[in-house]
Amino acid sequence: MVSSIFPPERYAVPAGIGCAGIALAWAVKDASGLLVAVAAICTYGGRRISQLSTAAFAIAAAALPVLLGWTGLLEPAVNLRLATFLAVGAGISAVILLHQGGPLSGHEKPEPRWLALQESEQQLRVLVDTIPALVWCTTPEGKPSYINKRLTDYVGVTLQELIAPDGSRSLADVHSEDRASVEKALAHSIQTGAPFRMKYRQRRSDGTLHWTEGRAEPLRNSDGTIVQWYGVCLDIEDLVVAQEALHDRERELSLLVDMVPSHVWRLTSEGEPTFFNKRMVDFLGLNVDDTDKPGISRLTAMISAALHPDDATAFRDALTRCLSTGRVFAMRYRLRRVDGTYRWMSGRAEPMRDHAGRILHWYGLCHDIDDQVHAEEELRNSERRYRDLFHYMPIGLAQIDAQKIIPLFKELRAQGVTELKDHIDEHPEFLLRAVEALEVEEVNQHIIEMFGAKNAAEMHGPITRYWLPSMETIRRSIEARYRGEEVFREECKVARVDGSVIDVLFTTARPGAVSNKSLVGFIDITERKKAEDVLRQREHQLQVLVDAIPAFIWCLTPEGTPSYFNKRVTDQIGLTISDLTAPDGSLRLESVHPEDRPTVQRALIHSLATGEPFALKYRQRRGYAHYRWTEGRAEALRDESGQIVQWYGVYLDIDDEVVAQQVLRERERELSQLVDMVPSLLWRLNPDGEPIFFNKRMIDFLGMDVTDTDTADSGRLAAVIQAVIHPDDVPSVAAALNRSIGTGEPFAMTYRVRRADGVYRWMSGRAEPMRDEQGRIAQWYGLSHDIDDQVRAEEELRASKRQLEQMIDAVPINILSFAPSGRLIYASKRYMDTVGSPPSHIEDFDALARDIAHPEDFPAMFRNASTGFATGQPFVNRFRRREKNGAYRWIEARAHPLRDASGTIVQWYIASIDIEDEMRAQEALRERERTLRQLVETLPAMIDCAAPNGEPIYRSRQLREFLGYEFEALDSEGKSRLQGTLEASVHPDDLAGVRENYARSLSTGEPYARRHRLRRCDGEYRWVETRAAPMRGSENAIVQWNVICLDIDGEVRAQIELRSAQEKMARASQAASLAELSASIAHEVNQPLAAIVATSYACRRWLSADPPNLERAGITLDRIIRDANSASDVVSRIRALFSQSGKSRTQVDMAEMIREVCLILADDLAAKNTQVETVFSPILPRPLVDRVQMQQVLVNLIRNAIDSMEGIVDRPRLIRIRAFPDGTESVRFELQDHGCGIIEHERVFDPFFTTKQNGMGMGLAICRSIIESHNGRLWIPSSGQEGTTLAFTLPTETRASA
Amino acid sequence: MNPDKFIVFVVDDDARMREALTELFESIGWRAAAFGSAIEYLSFPRPPLPACLILDVELPDINGLEFQKQISHGDHPPIVFLTGHGDIPSSVRAIKHGAVDFLTKPVTEQSLLAAIQSAVERDRIAREERSELETLQRRFDSLTPREREVLPLVVSGLLNKQAAAELGISDVTLQIHRSKIMQKMEAASLADLVRFAEKLQIPITHSRRTGNS
Repeated sequence: MVSSIFPPERYAVPAGIGCAGIALAWAVKDASGLLVAVAAICTYGGRRISQLSTAAFAIAAAALPVLLGWTGLLEPAVNLRLATFLAVGAGISAVILLHQGGPLSGHEKPEPRWLALQESEQQLRVLVDTIPALVWCTTPEGKPSYINKRLTDYVGVTLQELIAPDGSRSLADVHSEDRASVEKALAHSIQTGAPFRMKYRQRRSDGTLHWTEGRAEPLRNSDGTIVQWYGVCLDIEDLVVAQEALHDRERELSLLVDMVPSHVWRLTSEGEPTFFNKRMVDFLGLNVDDTDKPGISRLTAMISAALHPDDATAFRDALTRCLSTGRVFAMRYRLRRVDGTYRWMSGRAEPMRDHAGRILHWYGLCHDIDDQVHAEEELRNSERRYRDLFHYMPIGLAQIDAQKIIPLFKELRAQGVTELKDHIDEHPEFLLRAVEALEVEEVNQHIIEMFGAKNAAEMHGPITRYWLPSMETIRRSIEARYRGEEVFREECKVARVDGSVIDVLFTTARPGAVSNKSLVGFIDITERKKAEDVLRQREHQLQVLVDAIPAFIWCLTPEGTPSYFNKRVTDQIGLTISDLTAPDGSLRLESVHPEDRPTVQRALIHSLATGEPFALKYRQRRGYAHYRWTEGRAEALRDESGQIVQWYGVYLDIDDEVVAQQVLRERERELSQLVDMVPSLLWRLNPDGEPIFFNKRMIDFLGMDVTDTDTADSGRLAAVIQAVIHPDDVPSVAAALNRSIGTGEPFAMTYRVRRADGVYRWMSGRAEPMRDEQGRIAQWYGLSHDIDDQVRAEEELRASKRQLEQMIDAVPINILSFAPSGRLIYASKRYMDTVGSPPSHIEDFDALARDIAHPEDFPAMFRNASTGFATGQPFVNRFRRREKNGAYRWIEARAHPLRDASGTIVQWYIASIDIEDEMRAQEALRERERTLRQLVETLPAMIDCAAPNGEPIYRSRQLREFLGYEFEALDSEGKSRLQGTLEASVHPDDLAGVRENYARSLSTGEPYARRHRLRRCDGEYRWVETRAAPMRGSENAIVQWNVICLDIDGEVRAQIELRSAQEKMARASQAASLAELSASIAHEVNQPLAAIVATSYACRRWLSADPPNLERAGITLDRIIRDANSASDVVSRIRALFSQSGKSRTQVDMAEMIREVCLILADDLAAKNTQVETVFSPILPRPLVDRVQMQQVLVNLIRNAIDSMEGIVDRPRLIRIRAFPDGTESVRFELQDHGCGIIEHERVFDPFFTTKQNGMGMGLAICRSIIESHNGRLWIPSSGQEGTTLAFTLPTETRASA
Repeated sequence: MNPDKFIVFVVDDDARMREALTELFESIGWRAAAFGSAIEYLSFPRPPLPACLILDVELPDINGLEFQKQISHGDHPPIVFLTGHGDIPSSVRAIKHGAVDFLTKPVTEQSLLAAIQSAVERDRIAREERSELETLQRRFDSLTPREREVLPLVVSGLLNKQAAAELGISDVTLQIHRSKIMQKMEAASLADLVRFAEKLQIPITHSRRTGNS
């Protein structure tokens, strides 16, 4: 192959030259040689001649510069080379041109026959160029020798281009795919000479490929050798394309026919199958040909082969009919598939008629409707299932016909209503129309039950019946539908047929494409609602529980974000969840005490991280108040996989406990302190007696602790005792302790204990066991008390006591000491010497006193002593004591009790000194005094000696007798004796004056002289003249007042009586006018008389009655007598007023009389609400009195007293009557009222003086006259605002009438 | 006289006197009550009978004459004074002030009883008159105001028509009123009515002659 395209001789020359050029260049070491080579190579493709000439020129051109260079004429510069190269190139090109067209090309000059030939060639050429065919010629070898113009234009190649280097036709213009076959064919043709005919694609000048048919036939010459091949190319593109299109269409059609998912078959007009499409073939498993069976028609064969036996007959009949009638055939039947299954088919055949209407063929189509049929069945089944579902679904389903509502909607949409809600608000009637437009078409069983209908029919119709309870819901559903929403769901209430209302979940859906129906579902949610309610209630209860339980509950998410606090927490802390959640979701610890926050934080984080339960005590704030100790605990709740779902925590207020604990600790500390601070040594032993505790003081005191004495050999107790107790006391202490420990008895002892500094101090130690409930000893508690000072003090005391004793013995006084009981404790030495030691039987004071005291003096001194001992008061006794020698000597014994700090008497000390001499002296003095006194006493005068201040010192016997009392009687009244005397004895009226005078005399020293009344011991006041003169001592100072009283009573009284008699006479001479006197008499008399008269009348009447009422008459007569007597009494009294006769006087018990009179006047007293109080001396002498007169007097006086208190309201109306002996010779009566008093004491006794409006003024005068006639006296001792006291005296029998 | 039909009161401070008088009255068969003072007497609930008061002048709480003056207003029984010492001025005063008698003690039965009877009789009459007046007053009170207006006109002697004209009412109406009045006042005739009116002290305000007051 290569050699045909690259024939060697063509390249031999250029190659050779090229090599020569290279060798030259190498030899001369100049690139010019290369130029030669280049030039040589450029000659490739040219003819030999041209090649040779080219070579020559090239060599020359190359050698020239070299030579020139050798010679040195020109430098072989580059420009020169370039110039040379260009020159050579030009030359070569010229040569080539010449060669080609010029005479050097080797062409010969043309001849005239040649010209005519040339012309005919030209014409031929034109012809050839013009004919619409592409003509080409090749040499017998196959080298293209000519192509016509058309070809050139068509293909766009030149002849030269068509020539391949090896001389054959280049197939560059042929489609690469066809090249091989073309070449092969070409080659074959060239070789064999067979005509060449081929179709191939050829590139046109415009680049497109067109199908071409190339034909070539050889031109043979006479001998049959091929001279030229002549070829033609025809553009068969269109043809090919058309053919291809046709092919394609045919293929398509065929494909279509085969691919159509139907069986296509063709029958002849007689009905014989002539074509089955592929599908049919595949399906049936037989082709048309297979139906060729001997003896039967194809059709029959097919039918029997393919058709279901049940359908065969029908098919045949139908087809036959159609075939005969020419009507279209359509049927369903089952066909047998290749796998033996029958499938339903729908077959249809139509006749194809020619233009004359004659049936040419029957074209049939049957497609598999098996799926469809099955599908239909399925659908029917599913419909049935659906229907069942619909009916027996456990929810209520209803189909609503919304047909009527669609136009309504359309209307609205046409009106431009977008939001149905607003429209309904404005047109409420629309809702009603809409609702009425909705009709229930179909309901399932459940709905019937749910609504309590009897049957489905009852439910059909408009829905208004059911939905009245929830029109809002239905409205909303309609609105939703209007909006085009497919699904609507809401809880609402519906009315059952019986009217009851139930809760339902109402859902509606618009089933897809079916717009005029709605499927409505009801789910009875009554139960659910109930359950919800119950749940809600339970939830609520739970909430309440959680909030009510007294615990604080909190929840955190696994990350630590607070998720829940129960109500208590919120109330208590005062913060809500949001408050307690930090922005990062963690728990805010604001309510925790700042000091505890870090710990809490750490613990929380740890728990959250590890899942360990959280338990911590910390302080938490309540609201805004103080912090309280709280214990917080939290545990994690995990799910099945172990993941933490939630942290649940509580916290409890443990503040109280913590505080209590703290308090307890405090108290413990206090107690401990106490134990240590108690100023005693406290120690404790265990039941066996081993010391187990020393308090701090003990430790400090001893300088050691319990354990310090522990040695291996002895018990601790023994060791301690040994170490601390004084050696002398050790045995006893040990013994006692051990005994106590053994017996359980308390231990008490004093002993010496060695202090840390080595000093022994006395201690009082006590120990007692503490028993448990069973009575066993649990501990021994011991106390040691430092009594060292005490002990030492006692010793000192004892020492001093001894000293004292010695001192006592030295002193010249006898000393005895007795115990408080009287027991003799001590007698001083001197005593012993003087008196002699008491006999052994004498142990106490009593016995001693009895023994040694003079019998005469014993009673007094003993009494005094006893009193003293009893009262604890120091006492002094003076008595004669028997001395050792038997003689009695006067001693003064002074007893003094010794008291201790609390005041109790510890001892009695009696010291006695000899006073014999003094006593004697005193006696002598007393003797002298007595003498003097007697002197004074015997003087027939009342003498008084007073101290300079007036206090009576001495009164003579006469005075004493006169006064009737001693000094001492006045002593206790708390005033001076003088005052007492004066008050007691001086007449009240004279008292003031006497005092004044006396006082003046006492102060000035002037002699005192005064007359006054002095009360005698018998109560009588007697006039005395008292004279007092001062006695002066040295320096002229008054040492004593000497007073003398002379009884001048007789004279004075005589004087007074004289005066009074004079006055009386004078008064008596003032005789009242007879008329008035008589008037009073008359009145006094008239009263009873009038009564008598009236009573007499009554009596007479009684007697004249029918029958005579003697009883009443008798009563009246008694009254008459009584009144008459009383009248006569009055007369007597009047008479008595002017007479002084003393007859008819008797000794009368005045007290009795007074009482009588009070009784008589009882009514009056009661009427005037007046009380009488009587105070009678127990021994009252009976005076000699005229009973009647005296009665009169008493009545008068009492009446006066009553009257005087008439208007008194501010104090009780009380009359106090006293009667007592006045002296020895008279009885005194006092009548005290509480009226307003009388101012003129004496005037009241005047006969005509009265303070009463209607009084006659006779009463008191008469009284006085009566009294005086009895030798008594009637006067008014006192009268004031508080009342009046009237007094009278009556002489007793000793002083008879004068 | 019927003993139950009157009562005698005795007021005297002297118990003897009281006793005696009471005895006397009892012996007669009269009902008596005795008091020691005026206050006691006043506080005693007085029975609705004719009575007589025997009054002493010298009483503890008040002078008898004074007392007489005090009780003269009112329906107190006629007083018979009985005194121990009577003087002319006192007696004159007593009688002038309406006492039935002024007696001095001792009193004769005759004079005392006579005085008492007289007093009781006086009291009875007075009581009767009072009672009558009360009845009339009651009847008068039962008249309507209108009738009370008509009455004076009628008893003044006006003719019906004059009276009607006076009141400005019709004749007939007046006649109706008149007949009503007669009925209520229980007057048998006009003369009765006039007497009643007089007793009631209804003023004659009009005269027939002039027809006006």
